[in-house]
Amino acid sequence: MESAVSLRNLVKTFGEHRAVDGITLEIPRGILFGLIGPNGAGKTTTIRMILDIIRPDSGEVAVLGMPAGEMVKDRIGYLPEERGLYRKTKVLEMLEYLGTLRGASPSAARKEASAWLDRLDLGSWKSRKAEDLSKGMQQKVQFIGAILGKPDLLILDEPFAGLDPVNQNVFKDLMLELNRGGASIIFSTHQMDTAERLCKEIALINRGRIVLNGPLSQVKSRFGKNSVLVEFEGDGAFLRGLPCVARVDDYGRYREVRLIDGANPQELLQAAVGRVAVRRFEIVEPTLHNIFLEQVGGQAADA
Amino acid sequence: MHKLLMVIRREYLDRVRKKSFWFGTLLLPLLMVGLVVVQILLADVETGRQRKVALVDATGRLAAAFEAKLAEEKSKDGPPLFLVESVPVDSDVEEARQKLEPRVLSGDLFGIVTVGPDLEEGSNFRFYARSVGNIFAQKTLQRALREAVVGLRLERSNLNVGAEELKKLLSPVEMESFEVKAEGQAKKRGFDEAYFGTFAFVMVLYMALLLYGVAVMRGILEEKSNRIMEVLLGSLTPDQLMAGKILGIGLVGLTQMAIYVVSAAFLRLYVGIAALQAGWTGALDAISPLNMTYFCIFFLLGYFLYTSLFAAVGAVCNSEQEAQNLQSPLIMCLVVPMVMTFFFVANPDSPAAVVASLIPLFAPMVMFMRITVLTPPFWQIALSIALLLATIYFFFRGVARIFRIGVLMYGKRPTLPEILRWARG
Repeated sequence: MESAVSLRNLVKTFGEHRAVDGITLEIPRGILFGLIGPNGAGKTTTIRMILDIIRPDSGEVAVLGMPAGEMVKDRIGYLPEERGLYRKTKVLEMLEYLGTLRGASPSAARKEASAWLDRLDLGSWKSRKAEDLSKGMQQKVQFIGAILGKPDLLILDEPFAGLDPVNQNVFKDLMLELNRGGASIIFSTHQMDTAERLCKEIALINRGRIVLNGPLSQVKSRFGKNSVLVEFEGDGAFLRGLPCVARVDDYGRYREVRLIDGANPQELLQAAVGRVAVRRFEIVEPTLHNIFLEQVGGQAADA
Repeated sequence: MHKLLMVIRREYLDRVRKKSFWFGTLLLPLLMVGLVVVQILLADVETGRQRKVALVDATGRLAAAFEAKLAEEKSKDGPPLFLVESVPVDSDVEEARQKLEPRVLSGDLFGIVTVGPDLEEGSNFRFYARSVGNIFAQKTLQRALREAVVGLRLERSNLNVGAEELKKLLSPVEMESFEVKAEGQAKKRGFDEAYFGTFAFVMVLYMALLLYGVAVMRGILEEKSNRIMEVLLGSLTPDQLMAGKILGIGLVGLTQMAIYVVSAAFLRLYVGIAALQAGWTGALDAISPLNMTYFCIFFLLGYFLYTSLFAAVGAVCNSEQEAQNLQSPLIMCLVVPMVMTFFFVANPDSPAAVVASLIPLFAPMVMFMRITVLTPPFWQIALSIALLLATIYFFFRGVARIFRIGVLMYGKRPTLPEILRWARG
């Protein structure tokens, strides 16, 4: 089966700035795929090229086995990062319009939108204007707009940004449900814990290039089991001075210590025991968060 | 195609369903008809009122003739419009006049007509009133005074002319104007009628082009500022969105025009009879079927030309404030022909008018003006339409390119050279 999305040597420059600098990526069908990276890394530009909203300077984009463009647009649901609603338009009318733009007839689009609104507890808001809705309700309406017409591919740009925990859960459950129903889902995020919990595969983009790519488990094992969670009482400043330590991330209650390659965690334990009262010492896989920080470093793109 | 239709459908229904659309659409013709009717009624009331005029005559011999002349001026079967009060001059005209001024100020006297002793002197005849804006009344007074004075002059020259004779001698020479039409029948038509008939439609054209152009621009700005643009572009091409918007709002415009044309047809039926009686055929010519057809053609051409430009402005700006600067040259292009209507109607064949009616940005309005007043050679109309179509084609291509880049840009507005570079692709 062909990929959900296949990108070859994708390049896009805006003036002097190379927003996407030679991205090659295969996104398999039927999975939840996470596109992660710092702000300004080129995630949104890549997504826009997949949707044929902007054209690449060079390179190829294939979506669901077809070149990106008119033919395949109806099969993609898209929730952009910058999303809004017509403020003066009634909710159901708005969704009906979005449904018709994906090829449905007005009456069919209306029926489907109406069913979704009922399901997400917005049934009584159908004939209210968008501006009367709370922010959380508007986000639900926008999400419905993206999934109308049962798209084969769902692309969500920062779907969880600005959501309260309740809506985060609603969105997450819907994404999983649609994915089980056969839809391929690509979403971009810089919330690493979300990506870690949901994605089967990820691609880490930085400065317009793919830094890491593959199934999450492979990506993590590539970094080995050389991270240690340490919880202790006392001054932890000494950790940074130890020869076996590559980097230290302070989470307040505990610290995640990444060791240099080949170092023995026992060295760290011995050094620590002499200086502080250790309460917890656990050898773990690095979190995606840590891998991200390590790869992107302190020098994330400034945009 | 389905998507384009859906965009047109939304843009059309969204506007036509609004109460404000119907309010504005129905109110404008009512307002225009209402204004005309109210003015006619007011004029009737005003002219029907009797006015008292003082005559300060140093010669002492004009009063009788002046009064007799003015007595002829009556409203329909009413009393004379002017009452003349002859004021004797003791020594000086000025002195006598000044004594009367308080009565003018109190409103007792409508005005004072003064006549000095020397009938040949230029500034011998004067009219004093609180307001000198009532041209109709002044003309009447002047006519009566002229006849009285000419009578006196004839008498002084020892030419004995009777009252009847005098009237014949003084009967005015007025030219009636006729329009030579290709169809062979010369039509009686005056400048005022031609001017006002044309001006009303040029006004409608101007307002429609401006309102709908701005509507397209606002629609795009709204979609940008509501951040809905990218949601739409996930399903639509920028070209579909732009074309759908322009066509949908254009249909709204056509709906409105249709309402105007129908009400104009009614106007022709009902008011037409009254206008014919008043000899105002010229104003009606402006709403002849042929002219209405041209009106629709030039409205549509002008609409596509200007909305494509307004769409470009909407695409490159982030807010209406920003758009103000960029849209002002467009508005100027619309205002110039409207302001110059008087000139174009007076000189429809002048080189300036011919050239202006061929320049696409001015053509919709200027060519329409020329058509209503003179029927220009057909090749000029055809050339003007052809040039418009060609320009619309090029504008659409350039604007589509600007649109594709501009709609997703937020932040700093691009400079004009940048925009032009986008347009060239």
